[in-house]
Amino acid sequence: MADSDEEYIGGVSEDEDNNPAFRGPRGEATTSRAKRRKHGGAEWEVSRTWETLVEGADGTISSTVEGLLEAGKRKRLLRDTTPLQRGIIRHLVLILDLSQSMIEKDLRPTRYLLTLRYAQEFVREFFEQNPISQLGVLGLRDGLALRVSDMSGNPTEHISAIQALRDQDPKGLPSIQNGLEMARGALFHTPSHGTREVFIIFGSLLSSDPGDIHQTIASLVADNIRVGVVGLAAQVAICREICAKTNGGDYYRYGVALNEQHFRELVMDVTTPPATYSQKQSTNSLLMMGFPSRTVETNPSLCACHSKPSCGGYSCSRCNSKACGLPADCASCGLTLILSTHLARSYHHLFPLMNWVEVPWQRAARSSACFACGISLPPVPPKDQWQTAEGQAKGVSVSSRYECPACKNHFCIDCDLFAHEVVHNCPGCQSKAARFMPTGPDTMDTSV
Amino acid sequence: MNAVDATEHYETSARDPAPSLLTVILDTNPHAWALLENSLPLSKAIANILVFLNAHLACNYANEVAVVASHNQKAAWLYPRVRQNTASDTDGDAAMNGSSAEPGQVNKYRPFRIVEEQVTQNLRELMESTSGADIQGTNSTMMAGALTLALSHINRSSIAWAEAHGADMAAAGGDVPPTGGSTGTDTMGEGLQSRILIVSVSGATDSAHQYIPIMNAIFACQRLHIPIDVCKLSGDAVFLQQASDATKGVYMSLAEPQGLLQYLMMAFLPDQRSRRHLILPTRVDVDFRAACFCHRRVVDIGFVCSICLSIFCEPPENGDCLTCGTHLEMGDYGAKPAVVARKKKKKKRVNGQSNTATPTPTPTPGP
Repeated sequence: MADSDEEYIGGVSEDEDNNPAFRGPRGEATTSRAKRRKHGGAEWEVSRTWETLVEGADGTISSTVEGLLEAGKRKRLLRDTTPLQRGIIRHLVLILDLSQSMIEKDLRPTRYLLTLRYAQEFVREFFEQNPISQLGVLGLRDGLALRVSDMSGNPTEHISAIQALRDQDPKGLPSIQNGLEMARGALFHTPSHGTREVFIIFGSLLSSDPGDIHQTIASLVADNIRVGVVGLAAQVAICREICAKTNGGDYYRYGVALNEQHFRELVMDVTTPPATYSQKQSTNSLLMMGFPSRTVETNPSLCACHSKPSCGGYSCSRCNSKACGLPADCASCGLTLILSTHLARSYHHLFPLMNWVEVPWQRAARSSACFACGISLPPVPPKDQWQTAEGQAKGVSVSSRYECPACKNHFCIDCDLFAHEVVHNCPGCQSKAARFMPTGPDTMDTSV
Repeated sequence: MNAVDATEHYETSARDPAPSLLTVILDTNPHAWALLENSLPLSKAIANILVFLNAHLACNYANEVAVVASHNQKAAWLYPRVRQNTASDTDGDAAMNGSSAEPGQVNKYRPFRIVEEQVTQNLRELMESTSGADIQGTNSTMMAGALTLALSHINRSSIAWAEAHGADMAAAGGDVPPTGGSTGTDTMGEGLQSRILIVSVSGATDSAHQYIPIMNAIFACQRLHIPIDVCKLSGDAVFLQQASDATKGVYMSLAEPQGLLQYLMMAFLPDQRSRRHLILPTRVDVDFRAACFCHRRVVDIGFVCSICLSIFCEPPENGDCLTCGTHLEMGDYGAKPAVVARKKKKKKRVNGQSNTATPTPTPTPGP
């Protein structure tokens, strides 16, 4: 997304380019967009998607549509890959709006049910991406903040708690202030080496608060809590202000969902660990952790965490009490118990795979098929046709080839997507010589 | 997707069980095979694996196989192999290359013959391209590259299969399907079923430098519900134990490598659908302990840098992380718990001051 203008980020974090609220299908008109953004309007308010459609030589728009599809795929990928400090250990409170405005059916089936579904996916994905983080869930209903599930590192607890909300109906008015205050209380005791975040899914257009919400915002800022909001109806001034103030004047964490798909994207964007601010938000510290081995017993015994009988489990390395699932804090001595695989799961955030570059026709003749999956790439046309496809969207390779800058192999768009979003390995670099290690220093092995 | 012509596809896919794609990663590390020369030479192992591949192809006419070689210098495709210069036919049907078919083999079932010819031919090419210098340079195997190649091929095949059968799953559009927790049946029921079998001979210490890429590939398999089966002929690799444990695959360390075919047929042939009804030979004691970055000691309790997640067996000197260089604040590790001291203070204060003392709030640790 080279077209998103950086100057408004204001030097706080130059890295987070995936500005979700301003993703549009176009790559031009940056100046007018910048003006609009200054006035607080979002770019999609005036989006003329039909203008981007160009008839092909054969009179159909299929080539343009295909190009747009590929551009959409590619756009998700292009992010800054400079290895930067990220808050890997996160403490996040998810606040769900459970007020009467969630009955609306503008998102199918209803805002309420869709939010609950995405919230469950969010929880699952959050722990997939941040295995050593903590999450808590709150709800806003009847002007009160209610605790849905406590801060913990166990996804199944949260998911079942959110699942239980399906039987209840949304009602009353929401109070953002109450929710934020309760979240602040939940995050108060969290250790300073982790991030403190609040993420609100907000469907209403108002907040009925008991006091001055600006004081709450000030105390959030003082406590280094960052707030992100996804609105379901329209932009709300106070949400925007909360996001701006708690993120150092930058409101990229506020997004309003256009449709179901966009809503999901906005929610899932939060699962990526945030970059650490240059202003010191969290202190670095050394954490003591236990790496237990799995034990298998012939007779079931009770685990210390849930008092449920089970045969297998992990015994705490310090006090030998049994935990049934990891990662967890030992129930008796409080030691953080973790597997080395959990740490390894976060490494790809720390050593991201570099973006692959587009290949012009001049260099395309080197390959006829994708290196990884073997699908044939379009053959090189004669030279006079090279210029015809120039008008395509940004980030899309004219030759449908994408090249890894390290190993110089060519790949197709699907492998590009797959390598960057799922595997986080470059098939070319990994299958070459052993001396070259692009994804990480070779000191980073933690296993025997 | 395409509702117009989806009718006939729908009928077939409703009746037939979905085909499965078996990707075999063959560790062709010459060092390790040389050690196995007396019990199971490579040629015999290849013959056994080819029989196993044919058995898989015979289970369902739509089943597919793929073979990747994890050599000591590179990872390469053995089947299906794309010729860089002939861009004519790349959908796995590579019969164009099989022009050198011997006349004696015409009676063989065609898919069997194609697989056998290509695998042996490509393997021979791979071995001929290996020079003595290559072997002397390293003793490792490119397992991470082979896994990544295999996953890319599986991804391509899944997309192609979903497109051909009009599956409206989000996976077809390149989206990662949401990782289903306990109810993986909805994603398992339809779509191409893929699994990976690693025939491994190399030891564990060789692949230590590929730790992160291998783990990345394992997590990708876990997300996509692709089991990694491991058939270990010699040595013992912790990575692969963790791989099969994390992806619910089968891990077998063969006591008698001569019986490779029998092990393959009995333990590794059933696909995911049959495996639900079988008791699988899985391993229970997987070593999950970590080794510290500073002395390579295996630790039970370690210290982890909150920035780069490096593991140390003792707090590093001056509190500077050895990997990323960040200055780390040390907790009071090894200090006495503060509970006792606090209690005493409180008592004194209550006695010394007036008896109308309001209960002081317990001091909470600051952020």
